[in-house]
Amino acid sequence: MTETLSPIIRLGTRAASPFAVIVGFYLLFAGHNSPGGGFAAGLVFGAVLALRTIAGFQPAGNGLTLLAAGAVISASVALMPLAWGDVLFDQQVISTELPLLGEIKTGSALLFDLGVTSMVVGTVVAVLDGLGVAEFAASPAEAAASPDPATAGEAGTAAEAAPEAGRPAGHGRRPDSGEAGP
Amino acid sequence: MTALISIAVIAPLLGGGVSLALRNHRSWRDAAVLSGLGLPAASALVMLAAVAADGTHTVAVGGWAPELGIVLVADMFAALMLPVALTTIFVVEIFAIGQRRARWGADPALSGPLMCVLTSGVSLAFLTGDLFTLFIAFELILVSSYVLLTHQGAAGQVRSGMTYVVMNLLASTLFLFGVAFVYSATGTVNLALLAERIPQLGDGVRFGIGTWFLVVFGTKAAVFPLFSWLPDSYPTAPTTITAVFAGLLTKIGIYAMIRFHTLTVMDDLGPVMLMVAAITMVVGGLGALAQSDIKRILSFHVISQIGYMLMGLGLFSVAGTAAAILFLIHIMPVKAVLFLVGGLIENNEGSSSLDRSGGLAARKPLIAVMFAVPALSLAGIPPFSGFVAKLAVVSAAIDASATVAVVAALVAGALTLLSMWKIWNAVFWSRPAADPSPGPAVRSGAKTMHSATALAVIGTLVVSLLAGPLLDLSTQAAEDLRDRSVYIEAVLP
Repeated sequence: MTETLSPIIRLGTRAASPFAVIVGFYLLFAGHNSPGGGFAAGLVFGAVLALRTIAGFQPAGNGLTLLAAGAVISASVALMPLAWGDVLFDQQVISTELPLLGEIKTGSALLFDLGVTSMVVGTVVAVLDGLGVAEFAASPAEAAASPDPATAGEAGTAAEAAPEAGRPAGHGRRPDSGEAGP
Repeated sequence: MTALISIAVIAPLLGGGVSLALRNHRSWRDAAVLSGLGLPAASALVMLAAVAADGTHTVAVGGWAPELGIVLVADMFAALMLPVALTTIFVVEIFAIGQRRARWGADPALSGPLMCVLTSGVSLAFLTGDLFTLFIAFELILVSSYVLLTHQGAAGQVRSGMTYVVMNLLASTLFLFGVAFVYSATGTVNLALLAERIPQLGDGVRFGIGTWFLVVFGTKAAVFPLFSWLPDSYPTAPTTITAVFAGLLTKIGIYAMIRFHTLTVMDDLGPVMLMVAAITMVVGGLGALAQSDIKRILSFHVISQIGYMLMGLGLFSVAGTAAAILFLIHIMPVKAVLFLVGGLIENNEGSSSLDRSGGLAARKPLIAVMFAVPALSLAGIPPFSGFVAKLAVVSAAIDASATVAVVAALVAGALTLLSMWKIWNAVFWSRPAADPSPGPAVRSGAKTMHSATALAVIGTLVVSLLAGPLLDLSTQAAEDLRDRSVYIEAVLP
C-alpha cells in the first residue's frame, strides 16, 4: 500500500505532523484558562497518529496500555488532594519565574489533562489497531487475501469485531485461554 | 465523610484503569477489579452509618461554590441506595471471575475494567447534586453497558444491542434537551436550586418539564410503553452482565425519577404515574408468563417490578415514597441473584431454555434452594423482603385510595408467582430431558460461582431480616425528600 499511496498524502503527512504536534501541545497548555485542554490535545495527537499510520510511517502501538495509564493518572490526580485533607478534584497551583518566558502558572490540573490526553490518544490507537489499519497500510495483498478478522486486530481486545455466533470472537486471544482446558 | 464520597465515585475509575493496564495478568487484574469495586462498597456502608448519625453531607468538587460547580450530596436516600447497589455489583463480579472460563462467560479482560467504569457511573448517579452531572453519570453507565452487552459479538447480541443502543441514545438525547429546557426556564441545573425555582414556574412549563423527564427516566427505567428494548436485549448478554443490568440500571431510572419529581414537587403527575405503573406491572407479568426461557422470564419480571416502584412514587405521599425506596433496596439484590441462579442453571444444563432442563431439584438441591429464596421474595411471599416491600407499597396505595393500582399490584403479584412456578416446574421438578447428558457443564470455577450466589442469597436474607429498620430509614429518607428543606439547606447553607 505504501508504494501505491499518493505522494501528496505521504509528503503532506510528513510535513504537517510536527506542526500538528506543536498545536496539540499548545492546546494542552492553553486549556486551563482558554479554549483547548487535554481532550482537544488528545484529538490532535490522535489525528496525527491516525494519519501517520494510514500513510504507513509507523505501526499502531498498543493503545490500551496508554488508555489505562491515562485513566490511572487522571483518577489519581482527582483523589490526591484527599491525602492532604483537601476536597476531591482540588488543585495545586504553582507559579514560577522562568527566563525568557516570564511568569508561568501551572498546576496539578495539567497532570489531569495529561491523563485525559493519553486516554484519548490511547483510544484512537486502540481503534486503529482494532480496525487493522496498520496491517492494511503495510501489506494490502495479505490483508485482501485473508479476510479473517482475527488477523486484523491481534491485540485488539477492545474491538471484538468478528460476529461469530455463540463463541466470543476473542477466544484464541484471551489471556485466560491457556488455562481454560479441562 | 468527604473521603468516603470521593472514594465511592473515583476509586472504581482508578480500579478500572489499573485492571486495564494489568489485563494480561489474570490474578492481578482480578484483584484490581475487586478492590476497585469493593472499596467503594465498603465506603458506602460506612457512609450509610455516618449519614444515619449526622445527616446529609455534601462535597463541593474542586472547592467551587455549589451554584457554580458540581456538588455531590449524600443524603439518606442516596446513602441507602449506594451500599446495596455497590455490594450487588461486587458479588456479581466475584461470580463473573468464577464464570470466565465458561463458554458463555463475559471476557474478563474487557468486562472487569468496564464494570468498574459502570460502577463509577452508578455511584455518581446516586450522589450527584445537579442535573447535568446526572446526565454524565447516565452516559458513563450507558457507554460501558453498550460494550458489555455486545462485546462477544454474537448475532443475537448485535441485533438486540442495536435496539438497546438506539433507544438509550434517544433517551439520552431527550435528557440533554430536557437539561437545556430546564436551564433556560430556571437558569440553573443544580437540583437544590431547581427545587426552589421549578415550583415557582407557571403550570404549563412545570408540567412540561415534569412530563419530559418522566419520559426520559421512564425510558431508562423501562416503564410501559417504553420498555421494548429491555426484554429483547437483556437475555442475550452474559449472565453476570445481565445480572448487573437487571439489578441496577432500570432502578437508577426510578431513583432519578424519585429524586427529581419529589424535589420539584410534581405531585400533579401522580395520576399519570399510577396509571403507567398499573399497566407496566400487568404487562410485565403477562409477558413473563408467555416466555419459555429463564432469562427472558426474569427480564419481563424486571419490567413488572418497576411498576411497583413507580406506583409508590406516583402516590406522592411519605408512605408511598418510603415504600418505593424500600422496594428499591429489596429488588436490587434479589433481581441480580435470580439472574446469577439462572447462570448456574445454564452452567449445569448448558442452556437457560425451560424445555432443555428438568429434575434439577433432585440433582442439585443447592441451586433449587438458591432459586427458591429470591423467587419467593420477588413474588412477595412472607417472610422475605419482597413481602414487606410489596405490603408497604400496597398499604400506602390503600391509604391514598388508589384502587386501580392496588388491584393491578395484586394481579401482577399473582402473575409473578405463576411464572416463577413455571420455571420451578420446568427446571427443578419435571423429568430430566430424554438424554441425561450433563451438557457442557463447567467444572472449574463452579465453586466460586456457587459461593458468590450463596453470598448474594444471604444478602437478600439480610435485607429481609433488617426489613423493619430499613423501612424506618426509608421513611426517614422519604420524609427528607418530601420536606425538601433538608436537601436544599444541606446543599445551599
